[in-house]
Amino acid sequence: MTTVSIGGLGKRYGATVALDSLDLEIGTGVTGLLGPNGAGKTTLLRCLATALAADRGRLRILGLDPAVPAQRTELRRRIGYLPQNPGLYPQFTAYDLLDYVAVLKELTDGRQRRAEVRRVLEEVELTDRARTRVRRLSGGMRQRLGLAQALLGEPQLLILDEPTVGLDPEQRMLFRALISRLGERRTVLLSTHQTEDVGALCERVVVMNSGRVIFDGSPRELAAVADGRVWLSTTAPAGSQPYWRNADGLYRTLGDQPEGGERGQPSLEDGYLLLLGPSTRAGAAR
Amino acid sequence: MTGWHIDAALLAEYDRGSLDPSRVMAVDAHLLACASCRGRVEVDTVWLADNWAAVFDAVHAPKQRVLWRLLGRLGLPEHRIQLLAATPALRWSWLGATAAVLALAVAAAYFAQPGARVSAMLFLVLAPVLPVLAVATAYGPPADPMHEITGTMPAAGPSLVLWRATAVVAVAVAMGMGAAALLPGPGWYAVAWLLPALVLSMGSLALSTVVPLSTATGLLGGAWLIGVGTAATVHRGSSLPIIFGGTAQLGYLLAAAMAVAVLTMRRGRLDPGETR
Repeated sequence: MTTVSIGGLGKRYGATVALDSLDLEIGTGVTGLLGPNGAGKTTLLRCLATALAADRGRLRILGLDPAVPAQRTELRRRIGYLPQNPGLYPQFTAYDLLDYVAVLKELTDGRQRRAEVRRVLEEVELTDRARTRVRRLSGGMRQRLGLAQALLGEPQLLILDEPTVGLDPEQRMLFRALISRLGERRTVLLSTHQTEDVGALCERVVVMNSGRVIFDGSPRELAAVADGRVWLSTTAPAGSQPYWRNADGLYRTLGDQPEGGERGQPSLEDGYLLLLGPSTRAGAAR
Repeated sequence: MTGWHIDAALLAEYDRGSLDPSRVMAVDAHLLACASCRGRVEVDTVWLADNWAAVFDAVHAPKQRVLWRLLGRLGLPEHRIQLLAATPALRWSWLGATAAVLALAVAAAYFAQPGARVSAMLFLVLAPVLPVLAVATAYGPPADPMHEITGTMPAAGPSLVLWRATAVVAVAVAMGMGAAALLPGPGWYAVAWLLPALVLSMGSLALSTVVPLSTATGLLGGAWLIGVGTAATVHRGSSLPIIFGGTAQLGYLLAAAMAVAVLTMRRGRLDPGETR
């Protein structure tokens, strides 16, 4: 079932093109949005979250058009959004903050609202922190609280902008478990820089660059982009191709075969870097 | 452990709640110490879940302070009180908005000086709208760190701005009146426009229980413009005391009281985002 349908979507900030005639269809499950800084990921997510209006193109989310005020309000009842910088009020307790957001989410019946606050606290495993002020929560807990507010009202579409950034490995694992659980029964769209997150979580990955979709497929298909283009050698390759030394002491090169290079096992990251082209690869290898 | 266990008949009476208190205490004491008997007690999971929820909410729910209880007595729905009570808690936004409204009051005093009639008229026309703009600015980026989330909520929009404006202007009215009482003569003009501003904010909310919010604000804003325009045309140089004088202020106070009454009576229609 299609949750999001986008056709020819465009958005500019002055002379900068953030979204360039973007076409995309997204359905149930976890979809990862990969791309370098400035690729247009956040702009796309903000358009989907109704925080930003597109300049042109067609956008339908859950069958609703966010450009129409009444449909936009209805849509806001059915989506959850965790922005890159949620800015949760530091002086609120976790419970108060969720209660406040629940009011904004139109959960007007007190009993029902409190039950919903309890449910999301439990879902993100923060029940024992309900009375803790936001400023006293760790980074990972704050991020989970941000996710909890996005879960209020059982949204059908969950939009998460860089949800795992800045988390330690343990917190990231906890977060991944949460997101994969949530993706079983709704559409989750998350943007990230972390190819490991995409590999671990997403059944589908969309790569964006310069406001366009340059890849749309499974993580396996993204890794396959690098088939026959990953090389390992014992000496540093000559020429201008970017390379790096891996943990085994071998030099890993992407692209053309260097002298003495043997074929390596491609990873998701290799496919991603090859898709983005030489300039980004050079940046990644530095 | 004594090796003694509660017999089935006693346990059944305990489950039914038909034991006298002293025997209940005895059974309770035994159950605390005996896992085997504890396992035989029938547990009503629904009852247990409800009780746990009630205890959790009692411990964690926001404290109902004086303002909360007062607004509750006025008949305002609990979720609306929650929204208003949270408004001052967003300290910088609330302080910023209140400061902006009071700064506008000081500006009004200057504009109302003799010889500044054109500026005064312009200010008068804009005055009731300015607090709403000040509030919208104060609660937007960068003053409200959560604006990105708040802006994507179904309750976001003019309704939220007006509720916040009401919370800000009501406090500014109280502060301004207190200050004005200490000031001699024309200082009164500095705060005289605050009541019309409060009427516009609260009146729009009250009217929005009957017609859509955009129509409500349009109607009241239009009425204000017509009123000011008519007074300026008919009374020319003396329009300021007519619009802001004691009689007019009494009228604004009555209008504000009427808005409160309508909001109280029609509070069921105040749900955010409701389409009429």
